[in-house]
Amino acid sequence: MSMTIGFIGNPNCGKTTLFNAYTGANLKVANWPGVTVEKTEGSIARNGEEIRLVDLPGTYSLTSYTMEEQVARNFIMSGEADVIIDVVDASVLERNLYLTLQLLELGKPVVVALNMMDIVKKRGAEIDMHRLPEMLGCPVIPISARKRTGLSILMHAAEHHKDAHLHDPLIHEHPYGSHHRHDHHSEFAMVYSDDIEDKIDIIMDALKKKYPDLENLRWHAIKLLEQDSEVCRDYPVDLPDVLDRSYESDIINQKYDFIQEIIDEVLVKSERAEALTEKIDGLLTSKIWGIPCFLGTMAVVFLLTFAFGDWIKGFMEVGIDALSSGLSAGLESLGASPVVQSLIVDGIVAGVGGILTFLPNIFILFLALALLEDSGYMSRVAYVMEGVMSRLGVSGRAFIPMILGFGCTVPAIMASRTLENVRDRHKIMLVTPFMSCSARLPIYILFSGMFFPKNPALIAFCLYVGGLLTAIIVLAVIHAIDKRKDPGRLLIELPDYKLPGARTVGIYVWEKVKDYLTKAGTTIFIASIILWVLMSFGVSGYTADMSESFAAGIGKAIVPFFAPIGLGIWQITVALIAGISAKEVVVSSCAVLFGINNINSADGMTQMAGMLENLGFGQLNALCLMVFCLLYIPCAATLATIKKESGSAKWMFIAAGFQLAVAWVVTFIVYRIGLLVF
Amino acid sequence: MKLSQCIPGRTYRVKNIDLPEALSKRLEVLGMIENTPVSIYNRKGKGILIVYVRGTRLALGVNITENITVEDSGEGGKR
Repeated sequence: MSMTIGFIGNPNCGKTTLFNAYTGANLKVANWPGVTVEKTEGSIARNGEEIRLVDLPGTYSLTSYTMEEQVARNFIMSGEADVIIDVVDASVLERNLYLTLQLLELGKPVVVALNMMDIVKKRGAEIDMHRLPEMLGCPVIPISARKRTGLSILMHAAEHHKDAHLHDPLIHEHPYGSHHRHDHHSEFAMVYSDDIEDKIDIIMDALKKKYPDLENLRWHAIKLLEQDSEVCRDYPVDLPDVLDRSYESDIINQKYDFIQEIIDEVLVKSERAEALTEKIDGLLTSKIWGIPCFLGTMAVVFLLTFAFGDWIKGFMEVGIDALSSGLSAGLESLGASPVVQSLIVDGIVAGVGGILTFLPNIFILFLALALLEDSGYMSRVAYVMEGVMSRLGVSGRAFIPMILGFGCTVPAIMASRTLENVRDRHKIMLVTPFMSCSARLPIYILFSGMFFPKNPALIAFCLYVGGLLTAIIVLAVIHAIDKRKDPGRLLIELPDYKLPGARTVGIYVWEKVKDYLTKAGTTIFIASIILWVLMSFGVSGYTADMSESFAAGIGKAIVPFFAPIGLGIWQITVALIAGISAKEVVVSSCAVLFGINNINSADGMTQMAGMLENLGFGQLNALCLMVFCLLYIPCAATLATIKKESGSAKWMFIAAGFQLAVAWVVTFIVYRIGLLVF
Repeated sequence: MKLSQCIPGRTYRVKNIDLPEALSKRLEVLGMIENTPVSIYNRKGKGILIVYVRGTRLALGVNITENITVEDSGEGGKR
């Protein structure tokens, strides 16, 4: 015979990771009948027996308020599952136990899987693994879904617990004495105050009389006291004196009181961590120092990104240079045709290699953002910025996706998902691309290096601030003309500060770097080749004179659009169009278009600056180019993410058009003012 | 009194929460409902707060705190 196990837990408790650890790829995805919430099912074989596993939707409670809660509750009540595995995030035990207590009340066999014990230990806290099952009356198994430890023993416990119709021994020591006629403390984990227990007993008697076949009378009685809509509809009883009002808040509060009792007994927190958190918060969230501390932190991040990153970049350039000249010589000696040589050296190495040299800067930026996130500071930023942001009509929490935008716009727009307010989400999708992402950094480094060699970091910093200001102004304008004032509301948890974990930070940074490298290997590789083809071929076939190429034709056609903003050079316009595939491509395109192998070396820069100056492209034009790159249509990946997160292609086109318009107008203003100054 | 008017370092008891259902449900899950004790850690502006509720530190905006009524529980803050 086979058994069925249901997995339940709060959102983000690692439930799905655990589920996948068991089932691997052996999954079925289906909808719950009648609703649109997805369910995942899998099966495993154990001791020659088939076990069916069902992943229930992540939920905080089992009221019938949301679709997820209803689905989870109905599944458990249906008796389909023989055992419920409740996945608990041990690092936020207080909150996860609320669901556990509700599950225990449902009267089905429950096994608690205590996940993320490694994080608890890292914070210097400890959990009493003997006392916890004693107080809950069910097995508690410490596991790590991520490291795949404890999986076998958890399944073992589930198999053996499936026939448990009674609780494990319950041993409570409540500080108050009970005068209730039954001593429920050895029967149920969650025992309420005497007056509520009296009511439960009376309702249970009434339920038994009226619905003799009803199982788990206690749970139904509690739900009737909470005036749960489903239970009141299906199992009404006529007890006006007992059910005189909703006891929901009493019941919830008493559950939390019991959770407090459990926590007090089983969790030994590190007092040092708490005291330290308060000390740090005293400064970082203070009325006066909060914002300066935040700005200071960001300044340090950018200083590191530029000063330290550039130093490492120097070594990368030497490497690319060597590769490029080595390849040239090698191809020459192999007798490769000039077309092939040109494709490899001018096209691929110039394009992809140019991008690779920026890896150190990007690595440092993501490292810094990961450290801020993992230390717990990022959520404080929401509090610090709430004052400013609420005046712009969004919650302080909306600032987090905006900061992430400094790293990469794609995860930033994904992070906007955490905002509850739909209008907040749309506004953030509209302005986050203005936050200067790391892909735009190569453009600033190149052009400020060429045209503002004395203070390139200052120029770049101004651009970052400029992007931020644009975002703020746009939000302010939307807020001012928005008739439906429905502000986002700030509600965010502030975890204890901790030393960032090497593993978490490492994974985060590695994923970003991998994305960047993949992009260099795919999008930029392809863009470089397409560009090289467009530039090397014209109506008359292969041509060494670029001004006769297809690229020149396209570029010249759209020059009139860019001339009023100081960018009326066809090579630049081609680079800008190519840049929509990915912003770094602006740089690699320039490298290819001007035929410079190592565009970031001092030599390459001087060479290119000279070429540009001959075309009448000076400091002001370079500034205009950087401003335009900061604001215009984001990369293809960002557009795709906006479409996915907003669920509408129309919204994506609106966003792209809006950003193009803003970029043009702002660059126009900069150019006109610049003409008077320079 | 409103939660937004509370003083850091003191503990209050929630009397009433007047917020859209989605939000009050989220607060409920965090253990913040009628009669829950709330300690105030930090306050700025017109009532942007850092509070301590049931083992969790929360930052709350003014448009939440001004819709929550509390009474002074007469206890000092649990800090």
